[in-house]
Amino acid sequence: MLSRFWQLGKPYKWAFLAGFAFLLLTNGLNLWIPWLLRDAVDAMESGEPLSTVARLAMAMIGIALAQAVVRTISRLLVLGASRKVAYDLRNTFFAQLQRLGASFYDRNRTGDLMSRGVNDIQIIQSFYGPGMLNSLNTTIVYVAVLILLFRIDVGLTLISLTFYPVLLFVVNRLARHTYSRSVAVQEQLGEISSRAQENLSGIQQVKTYVQEAREIQVFSQLCDEFRTRNLALARTRGSMISVMGIASGAATLIVMFAGGQRVIAGSISLGDFVAFNAYVAMLAWPTIALGWIINVFQRGAGAMRRVDELLNEQPDLPVAAEQGAQPGFVEGDIEIRDLTWSHPADEGSEPARPALRNLNLTIPRGSRYALVGPVGSGKSTLADLLARVYPVEPGKILIGGRDINDIPVDVLRRSVGYVPQEAFLFSQSIRDNIALRDPDASDEVVARAVTAAHLDGDLAKFPQGLETVVGERGFTLSGGQRQRTTLARALVGTPPLLILDDTLSAVDADTEKAILEELMQASQDRTCLLISHRLSTLSGADRVIVLDEGSIVDQGSHEELVQREGLYSRLFVRQQLEQRLDVR
Amino acid sequence: MRGGTSATLHEEESLGKAYDARLIRRIWPYLRPYRGQVFLALLILVLVAAAQLAQPYLIKIAIDEHITPGQLEGLAAVAGMFFIALLAEFLLRYAQFYVMERTGQNVVYDIRTAVFGHLQRLPAKFFDKNPVGRLMTRVTSDVEALNEAFTSGLVMILADLVKLVGIVAILLWMDWRMALITFAILPVMLVVTWQFRSRVRSAYRRVRGVVAKLNAFLQESVSGMRLVQLFGREKANAELFEGVNGEHLGAQLKGVRYDSSFSAVAEMIGSITLAAIVWAGGGRILQGSITFGTLVAFIDYAEKFFRPVQELSQRYTTMQAAMASAERLFKLLDTEPTIVTPDSPKSLPRPMRGRVGFDGVTFGYDPEQPVLHDVSFAIEPGQKIGVVGWTGSGKSTLIRLLTRLYDIQQGSITLDGVDVRELDLEELRRSVGVVLQDHFLFAGTLEYNVSLGDPRITPERVREAARAVRADRFVERLPKGWDEEVRERGSNFSMGERQLLSFARALAFDPAVLVLDEATASVDPETEHHIQEALETLMQGRTSIVIAHRLSTIRDADRILVLHQGQLVESGTHDELVEVQGGIYRTLHRLQTASVA
Repeated sequence: MLSRFWQLGKPYKWAFLAGFAFLLLTNGLNLWIPWLLRDAVDAMESGEPLSTVARLAMAMIGIALAQAVVRTISRLLVLGASRKVAYDLRNTFFAQLQRLGASFYDRNRTGDLMSRGVNDIQIIQSFYGPGMLNSLNTTIVYVAVLILLFRIDVGLTLISLTFYPVLLFVVNRLARHTYSRSVAVQEQLGEISSRAQENLSGIQQVKTYVQEAREIQVFSQLCDEFRTRNLALARTRGSMISVMGIASGAATLIVMFAGGQRVIAGSISLGDFVAFNAYVAMLAWPTIALGWIINVFQRGAGAMRRVDELLNEQPDLPVAAEQGAQPGFVEGDIEIRDLTWSHPADEGSEPARPALRNLNLTIPRGSRYALVGPVGSGKSTLADLLARVYPVEPGKILIGGRDINDIPVDVLRRSVGYVPQEAFLFSQSIRDNIALRDPDASDEVVARAVTAAHLDGDLAKFPQGLETVVGERGFTLSGGQRQRTTLARALVGTPPLLILDDTLSAVDADTEKAILEELMQASQDRTCLLISHRLSTLSGADRVIVLDEGSIVDQGSHEELVQREGLYSRLFVRQQLEQRLDVR
Repeated sequence: MRGGTSATLHEEESLGKAYDARLIRRIWPYLRPYRGQVFLALLILVLVAAAQLAQPYLIKIAIDEHITPGQLEGLAAVAGMFFIALLAEFLLRYAQFYVMERTGQNVVYDIRTAVFGHLQRLPAKFFDKNPVGRLMTRVTSDVEALNEAFTSGLVMILADLVKLVGIVAILLWMDWRMALITFAILPVMLVVTWQFRSRVRSAYRRVRGVVAKLNAFLQESVSGMRLVQLFGREKANAELFEGVNGEHLGAQLKGVRYDSSFSAVAEMIGSITLAAIVWAGGGRILQGSITFGTLVAFIDYAEKFFRPVQELSQRYTTMQAAMASAERLFKLLDTEPTIVTPDSPKSLPRPMRGRVGFDGVTFGYDPEQPVLHDVSFAIEPGQKIGVVGWTGSGKSTLIRLLTRLYDIQQGSITLDGVDVRELDLEELRRSVGVVLQDHFLFAGTLEYNVSLGDPRITPERVREAARAVRADRFVERLPKGWDEEVRERGSNFSMGERQLLSFARALAFDPAVLVLDEATASVDPETEHHIQEALETLMQGRTSIVIAHRLSTIRDADRILVLHQGQLVESGTHDELVEVQGGIYRTLHRLQTASVA
């Protein structure tokens, strides 16, 4: 974690160093002022003419002007660099999110990830900015003031600072509390954020099922816990500030008492006394700030731990960008060899529930295969694995004779047009949603995809056609329109393998039938894998695979399966009966 | 995803200029319940200031009465008083800090839950227009900014003010001429502050706007990450993110510029004042009109005077951020929930009969673009109605209107003869059992997802309902069974499993009116067959509206309504409709039978 702090700051080391140099300078100037004050008081006491005092006052004004400039520069450098560090970290964070695969997102909630990306990085920024600035400032002031105090009177310095070692001990103890309590506060904020995100994303359902009161109640509980944790943190912070204040005040007290005696005894001048007092007062602020600094550091460390945890997460799949762009497609027969697979989230759970068991299957190039089976039989899992959404052991899935693990990710992604079950659209124009794979796709390519997905009729009715922005200004697409948009999206780039996971379930049957027939005719070379619950759409398939509880229980052409006693024929007979009743 | 589209979408609506006083007045009602504590804190604040301001004066006494005349006796007493003042200051400061923090946390708790509660009341239309990420910014960061304002902004400013007034009074009392010289520079300070004020404000408002945009982008990217990866969009997406992030950096750097120079200038003014005191004080000491003690006290007080002024910039920034957040929060709270229970709601007859009427209903999500035109039909209690039509014909909209997620623009919708707009909203939604297209699960256990916390739905009833729709099979195979927790919106369950659960939920609630929206679309035929059987039982004796694509589902319906381009074009039984030459139903039916045979 420490190395992460270093690594992030490194590109801006010159800005930080220059900032610190200016900070040193500004403090030097600042410390000069009480010294001039001391000379002024001594001049007054010894009855020198006012011109001496005036000259000293003029010098003070000159120093003040210079100090303002230098201070501004140092702050600009350090605070500016801290913003840039946060900018870099945010980009790194986002890039990391893009590297991580589906199993990571199954384990982590969106709200919590956002809390890390937004709130935690904000805190880390405070670490680099005000945190570094003030801690350095404090150190410089401490060291310089100590030197000056020793120059005035060694004995007085030693006794006036008796409290400081005690202070360090107490602060150190309190700091540990601050850390753990800050982490607890941040974690709770993550909870609140997750909860709000889930609620707002499902607000229609919340309303439809009259869940508002319960949602508010659960949310309030989270806020209540947040309040409790914040107050625990406040108690530590409060005592820290008080302890610091008392320690620095005690120093002034000692100066007054012991220093007063020395002035009376004549061992130091009145000017020395005044300057001593001013320097000890200068220590007060950095000492109080110390508590604040420790807080910023502890919070920074807590936030960094949460961000670091995410950045250290290893993707369980190779990342396309890191393999380098490779041209072309992967084509050929798909072979699945004795594939047994459990969802990563279910691993180690008892009883073991593999989603797929001992699956063997070959899908020849250019064929149309269909997958059917009851809910939870593993259809979508198989589709996910063919698109390599989750990792698979070597030697289990081969495309065109190549192990899926040996195919560069971008080639595989380009070659597989996968339309997952959930029709997710981005809040961008329909065109951008369709041309997701290739934003530079020509209008002609987009238009072809639109026509193939039977979306052209709908587009004509949309306010801005293809440029209509999804989800904006009350413009909502129906389930069927969303699904057909996702289909059009998969068709851009003409992938040689098309996987449709119940893609047209919300589209009426005749439209589905028409879309699929046209798709099949359009490209004879394309391998298609269809998952559907509508047997009506499967009759055109070359081969139908029947899955149950993760295993293939039957397969064959539609005709063969109908002839054979089994799950498929049972389903088919039932549908036939229904149809006959329908037709009379 | 070309260029500016996402930028324009997430752009924060620009906010008009507002006076801080107006916002403070709006915050006051939230403070009111804690005014006792606020006043306590303010009282402690005055005491803290007194204890603090006594200290330089005690030093003056020490110098003038003991150190300069060489009078050692009594110095210990002055030191003792100093120590008491010191101890009092910091103990009281702790008390004040804690009281304030607690009040702040309470206020923030109230505001946060108020905002969240208000969001629950806003109509569906509002959520169509506001991305989730932006609303999350309200509930998290904006509320936190208000908290900051309260604990380290507002109260500290008050504390500083008390202190400043105290110092001014003491200095004037000690030596009014020197006091005036000390304060001579204040007008400069005021001008500088004024100059910075508006700039800092607009800079920070921009920062918060960009933060919301960043949040919205992040939220959508995380939700759609699977697609981003499947379609190889990582690089382009990273570029878009870097764009928004860069905008954020730009806004931040601008804020830093104002911040840095302001505090430095404030510090400079403090040092110049010190010089002025020394200069003027030197002359007066030589004249013998003031003592050394007074001079030292003046220097001490000036230091204490300019410390808060210097921090003013930071406090100001905090307050600005908070005001910008407050504006957004109040703007959100001011958004009227347009769909609410009327003042004196009518109630439904008990037991409900289940009569549904649509009379001349016209509706569009955008009023300019109606999706339903003048739709009228009546459903008698216990009838089973099928609604069919091509995709986009407005079928799903019917449900959203019946449960009043949206209000219609013309006509009326009635339940047992009562206009839905005259009913208690909760009663209405509880009376209509809905199975929606996307089978959303709530956070909680599976059992909760069926019972929805309704005490009338016992665990036995949950299991009974699940058995009826065959949802028990998969639930019982889970390690924790009905106690299995639902992860983010049910992502740990398949679509089919989620659907079975929503059926079980509808069945358990036993509503008088049941609405199924394309509910059987993604279940395998075997499961669907079981569901069909369960639904037959479920629909017995209650009004049912089924929106399905497979005509077989609604073949035996009492009546079938055919929607086309937002209009009700055909209505009748299956047997009647298949005979209508050139009819839409007849066409749909022919297409479907042909596809299987």
